[in-house]
Amino acid sequence: MKRIGLTILAVCLPLFLCRPASAQHSGPYVGAFVGGSSLITAKASDDLGNFSLKFDPALTGSAVLGWDFEPGNPVGEGRVELEYARRSNTLDQVTFVEGGFKGGGKVTADSLLVNFFGVFHDVGRWAPYVGVGAGVARMEASDLQVTGQPLASGSSVVLAYQLGAGLDVALTDHLNLDLGYRFFGSTKPKFSEVNGRKFEMDYFSHTAVFGLRVGF
Amino acid sequence: MANLICSCFVLLLLLSGCGWNDTPTRQNDFIPLTSIVITAVSPAIDSSHTIAAGTSTKLTATGHYSGQFTRDITDQVVWSSASPAVAAFKYSTTPNKGRVSGATAGSAALTATVGTISSPGFTLTVSGATISELKVAPASLTFAKGLSNQFAATGTFSDTTTQDLTFDSAWLSSDVTVATVSDDLASKGFARALAKGTAAFTATFASKSGTAAVTVTEPVLQSIAVTPASPSALSISTVSFTAIGSYSDGTTPDITAQVVWNSSSTARATVIGGVAKTLTQGTTSISASLDGVTGSTNLRVTGGDLTGITVSPSAPKLARGTVSRIIATGIFSNATTRDLTGVVEWSSSDSAKAAVTSTGSTLAWLNAVDNTPLTTITAKSGSITGTSALTVVSPTVQSIAVSPPSLALPVGSSGRYTLTATFSDSTTQDVTANSTWETGNSGIASVGNDDSDMANKGRVSGVASGSATITARYGGKFVTAPVTVTARSLQTLSVSTLPTGFIAGTRVAFTATANYFDGTSMDVTESTTWTLDKPYVAMLTDSQNQPGQVVAVDSGSATLTATFGSKTQTTTITVP
Repeated sequence: MKRIGLTILAVCLPLFLCRPASAQHSGPYVGAFVGGSSLITAKASDDLGNFSLKFDPALTGSAVLGWDFEPGNPVGEGRVELEYARRSNTLDQVTFVEGGFKGGGKVTADSLLVNFFGVFHDVGRWAPYVGVGAGVARMEASDLQVTGQPLASGSSVVLAYQLGAGLDVALTDHLNLDLGYRFFGSTKPKFSEVNGRKFEMDYFSHTAVFGLRVGF
Repeated sequence: MANLICSCFVLLLLLSGCGWNDTPTRQNDFIPLTSIVITAVSPAIDSSHTIAAGTSTKLTATGHYSGQFTRDITDQVVWSSASPAVAAFKYSTTPNKGRVSGATAGSAALTATVGTISSPGFTLTVSGATISELKVAPASLTFAKGLSNQFAATGTFSDTTTQDLTFDSAWLSSDVTVATVSDDLASKGFARALAKGTAAFTATFASKSGTAAVTVTEPVLQSIAVTPASPSALSISTVSFTAIGSYSDGTTPDITAQVVWNSSSTARATVIGGVAKTLTQGTTSISASLDGVTGSTNLRVTGGDLTGITVSPSAPKLARGTVSRIIATGIFSNATTRDLTGVVEWSSSDSAKAAVTSTGSTLAWLNAVDNTPLTTITAKSGSITGTSALTVVSPTVQSIAVSPPSLALPVGSSGRYTLTATFSDSTTQDVTANSTWETGNSGIASVGNDDSDMANKGRVSGVASGSATITARYGGKFVTAPVTVTARSLQTLSVSTLPTGFIAGTRVAFTATANYFDGTSMDVTESTTWTLDKPYVAMLTDSQNQPGQVVAVDSGSATLTATFGSKTQTTTITVP
């Protein structure tokens, strides 16, 4: 995770010294993002009580298809987009009454969100933005384990949302560099334990992304 | 916009939190149980694996889970004996599950099983030793009514071994009204003290018995609660504390009079008999102690420190034999003033000529007893004093006059007449409290004329619709004034608003106005019932003599409720 962050910083540092190269784009665009996601230690619950799930940070990727509003648009300056993202994190540790145990397996979130971002073009050299998104996510628990013993598996479709903020840098008339942060959450996905019980867990993640958007 | 961006990031950070870090409540049953180990609770038996015939011992089953952790599974396992005739598990419920009883001499392999996992055999030897002595511990015990204690029985056997026989003995108390000892399987040997007195506990096993002498004393004090908890009070005021004791028998009597009271800072407040007298602002701990037990609470004193006292009127001239209200006002370091009439010490330089009668609350009366060119009246609080120079003369009454000339009152409300006398030396004096007041028709209007309630002399209350004449008499003269009482239908009740700057020690005189359906309004402050729900935020100074007057005590919000007739109005009072 730390290495990913340093890489993103190293790549982007020169860009911070540049001035926007071109005028603001309006119209359709596509984009692709990569980054790192870190899940918040989750509370998991079944009819026997609560336990916690701690996950490793992991790479994340997303693709967007959207529309940049033209300057002066009555609905505000910004963009609306459809975003597909995948976050897949390995279960690192499971903590029960007896203590923490090594985990295994992955929880993967495939989300499809509609995002609305407000962009502040009048700040100066950079265009910061904030926004919200909502949609659905398919959560899949793949072979979750405790010290090698099966814990749970299965999939669940849940409502998902995110809050985002970041910086836009217009590299050309049609190419934007996007450095962003996303807080992603969902309603509680339910999975089946190996013993047949159902359990539900929290799902919240911090994600740092770096990507390019190409306008048409 | 920068603020908007910052706000969004703060929101994101708040949403992110740090994850769930509470204590888990679920046990790990995903890791399989791999082995079970049986141990005896008694270290001696765990070492020897031997008990005497006719006795029992408690075993524990510990589950080992793949080398990851262990767990006590005594209650989950199935206990079994390979030789039930030698040793058997007779009890299937907690807390005696796992207790094995020896029947006859021999050996038995005991196992604990969960599913397909069984413990290695725990070989228990049942000896043929016979009991030679049984002792109960403690051999004697003095404990207070309401308390409990666990007794134990230990047997010494013919082979010189000893064994805990608490469970296997029969327990009996010689006087169950004084103390009981349990013979229930779940609580053998558990004693409770019920009443003052003595008793003997007997434990019997086989043919042997052991005894313990028990003395139950009066219940002992275990804790003291001082109430009110953490109050706030204005300086130069009093707060009454109560000490509630919690005794070993569960009783909670009021021990205010028995405890020794103490204030950690006598500069802030002193306390005698549970009544604290506040002096300077700050916090002090008020404690109550009895029999080595102490309870305490903090008292926060607000409203500034007293820096001076003014007495009004400052130079009264009164006619001999009359009385007049006298008021002491404190000046405080936080630039507030407050009525201290009821809490200062009043004195006269010549009590044969003049005296002050304080009726508590906020009232004090200056009595002009005899002629004097100058008598000094002093109001004192600690080292701070204020004075008034009184002159008493004996003029003759020339005339009296009542004001206002007339009163018009709605039924249920009240108004006041004031009587002023003009004397032969051309001076005038309010003699309302010295006069005799009469009503011509008490069914229409009543008037205050109680010498023990001089503050309400001349106060007229509307009883029913109609007209009445009020007569006031003083110095051989009389004067009359009409009162018209009408039945009006009350529409609303309004209360004056709270001004700004209502800091601790500040006084505000709220007024209540009755608004009638006929479009008229009337000040009904004196006829209104005033209450405040949080006396440590703000308090009514004197609901009898100063109705509606509120003084701020400490930071917070309180609700002032005014009730008149069928209407109630509430106002939120906030002290910053």
